[in-house]
Amino acid sequence: MMITVKAFARFREILGSETAREEVHEGTTLAALLEEIGRKNPTLKTSLYDDDGSLRCYIILMQNRKRVNHSEVESIILNDGDEIALYPPVAGG
Amino acid sequence: MVVTVTQEDFDIKRLIEERKNPDMGAMVSFIGVVRDDGIERIELEAHREVAVEELEAIRDEAFAKFPIKSVDIIHRIGDLNIGDNIVLILVGAGHRREAFEGCEYIIERLKERVPIWKKEYTKDGERWVPGKYH
Repeated sequence: MMITVKAFARFREILGSETAREEVHEGTTLAALLEEIGRKNPTLKTSLYDDDGSLRCYIILMQNRKRVNHSEVESIILNDGDEIALYPPVAGG
Repeated sequence: MVVTVTQEDFDIKRLIEERKNPDMGAMVSFIGVVRDDGIERIELEAHREVAVEELEAIRDEAFAKFPIKSVDIIHRIGDLNIGDNIVLILVGAGHRREAFEGCEYIIERLKERVPIWKKEYTKDGERWVPGKYH
């Protein structure tokens, strides 16, 4: 199934584009998707994870435009067509 | 009333005149402007659909919290130079107190939650303005 990954600001630059498409297996968790995109892009991996392998606390994750708590990434099973967005902390105004 | 994320500049004078209403005794505006911190220009980027949804939610919260009568929020994106307008918040109310409070509430929540980012360009290079982690 296909997942759309959107990245903004610094993450967009690291990913190389605002939108990327990822093919994943049925039952893939959000945590597994993040690990997969990190595996393909080591710079993104360093930006996403601390040295101990946990998601950096300031990263904002969205699933279909709704915020996701980091504690939920292991339990969220992705659906075909989901849109996952990665943000650094916001700095508007 | 307007809530938008746009490349276009805004005309504050015209918006105030459009929004004035006989039951409003106070209008408070906040305008964020590009400051010269040794930069040449800035670039603003947004996750536009979500930014508009968040701004609409913040507007609705302000209406629920304060007895205000109108809210306009315009946030710009794209390339901006020193002195250019970044954001406008215009709040109309019966009295000044709720107009000030509503306006402050909106800009503070905007800075915490709305997915917009700034990149600064200097003669030595470029850097993303670090956002605050909430």
